[in-house]
Amino acid sequence: MSGEGSREGQTLLRMRDVCKSYAGVAALDRVSFDVDVGEIVGLLGDNGAGKSTLVNVMSGVVVPDSGSISWQGDPVSMRNRTDSAELGIETIFQDTALVGSMSVTRNIFMGRELTGRLGFMKQRAMREASGETLRGVVSIRGVTSTEQLVSSLSGGQKQAVAIARAVYYKRKLLVLDEPTSALAARATAALFDYIGFLRGQGLSSVLVTHDLYDAYKICDRFVVLGHGQVVMSATREEVELDDLFKFVSRG
Amino acid sequence: MTSGQDRLIFGEGTEPGEGVSAGAQSGTSPARRRRYSVMAHLSPDQRYRVRQSALDFTVLFVIIQVASIVAGTIWPNTFPYTNSANVLTGFEAIPLLGITAIGVGVLMIAGEFDLSVGANFIFSSIVMAMLANQGWPVILAALTAVAIGCGIGILNGLITLWFRIPSLITTLGTTGIWTAATLYVHGAASETFNVNGVFGTLTSGSVGVLPAELFWMIGLGIFAWAFLQRHRIGNHIFAVGGNARAANATGISVRQAKLIAFGFAGALAAFSGVLAASRVSVITPGGETDLPLQVIGACVIGGTALTGGTGTVLGMILGAALLYWIEDVLLLLGAPGFYLDAFVGALIIVAAALYTVSKQRRAS
Repeated sequence: MSGEGSREGQTLLRMRDVCKSYAGVAALDRVSFDVDVGEIVGLLGDNGAGKSTLVNVMSGVVVPDSGSISWQGDPVSMRNRTDSAELGIETIFQDTALVGSMSVTRNIFMGRELTGRLGFMKQRAMREASGETLRGVVSIRGVTSTEQLVSSLSGGQKQAVAIARAVYYKRKLLVLDEPTSALAARATAALFDYIGFLRGQGLSSVLVTHDLYDAYKICDRFVVLGHGQVVMSATREEVELDDLFKFVSRG
Repeated sequence: MTSGQDRLIFGEGTEPGEGVSAGAQSGTSPARRRRYSVMAHLSPDQRYRVRQSALDFTVLFVIIQVASIVAGTIWPNTFPYTNSANVLTGFEAIPLLGITAIGVGVLMIAGEFDLSVGANFIFSSIVMAMLANQGWPVILAALTAVAIGCGIGILNGLITLWFRIPSLITTLGTTGIWTAATLYVHGAASETFNVNGVFGTLTSGSVGVLPAELFWMIGLGIFAWAFLQRHRIGNHIFAVGGNARAANATGISVRQAKLIAFGFAGALAAFSGVLAASRVSVITPGGETDLPLQVIGACVIGGTALTGGTGTVLGMILGAALLYWIEDVLLLLGAPGFYLDAFVGALIIVAAALYTVSKQRRAS
């Protein structure tokens, strides 16, 4: 739990003039992007607009060519996933980043195993914690055991496991890259509802989605990317849903 | 504004999460119980863990052994399977294959291969024999050999990761290099290696029909099991072999996990070489060319996935034992030597096919 819900309005993540290009093609072109404490930011844009690259930069998976990033006012440099996790950023990647040949428990704790002496894992503690999460926080119908292999799950269930993993570590910022692509309508609504609940606890979220109708209800602010640049940034009060559609499709 | 709910539920129906077992509890509702399942009394957690073990293969292996022992008892003259000389030969031969298979199997779980274990086996042990014959303390020479083997493995890993080439190709190349290196540092003649004292007892002594190699294989098997199943790095090896991209996205160092697995495979191949040299007192350059494919075969037969991410140490050891069993039975029945290769080849194909089918059945 962040425990800093009272600091609402304060900037959590601040990115300034972030650039990243691949083989000469600019995926991000001087992108500035802020997330405040306890805020849900909808990151929108057409395919190839640079959303996933921006998510990867926020998660430390991609190191930007130039630009600055600060976290709670202090400049930071994220070189890998471990750096971003240490700051308190949890990401649900579009491809879920799960290992099918491993159990739900092992996936939840992948790379962050609970260990005792000499790096040996606390198996029972990990099983109990993941069981706790699946019973108390994120319930996934059809998942009867935390020892079930992820490869035996459906697409929606896998996405739910990826969400459960991020929620388990809920720290300060939750980045969700197309979290609803394999979810049924009701599950999508439940997820967005839950993100709203987390906001009440002071947790910020960045939501990348195509699902504008549902996103409009929950997001406090929208940032639209087009061709690697920010083409629009507005709070929900400032923009109508119809206008959002226009900005996204125009790119 | 909605306050949101404090619990996230995926899927329809009432309280779906209730079915998730707490690990310790074992209650399953009768409706969920499979009619003919022998695992009906187990909790879902236990059931999934059993399925991921080498249980089915172990049962098959025990049946084969019991049948062979019964046949050997009934026809001791035509099929002397239980003859103490035959048993002893088996217990001496299986660990050389088994120890190497443990290393290669761990590497296969990490999603990589090592075809250079045969060349490594010979090079490391011949260097040990040369150093010992020059007056080095034999234990120091043996440790040097294991260090060389580990280094050969890590070098395979560095080449594979640096140039981003398949390890099958890297180690095909290094096989040639280390085979040539053996001839360069030693020449084509055999090297003798005579041991005695504590080192001799530890590497080629025996307790009844149980030779030292067998204890080494069991000890290293337990070590490898604890490392893979219980240690953080072992968990990373499974993750990296199962889905390297996902592992990387969760902060696992793919490089580190793979290099450790490469080093482990190399060290165990060299250690097998040390044990073999100590047992037979002579090392022949150009030997062990069959070893790499045999150990990969043993791993596949024991349920290690060629695609990485899956495998058990018990499966690797029993796979090696099963390969030896085929060789042994064919010899006892007086079949010509070339039959062996055909049987082993067929068995590898059948095993891979069976695992693929059972994997598809479980996934659906």
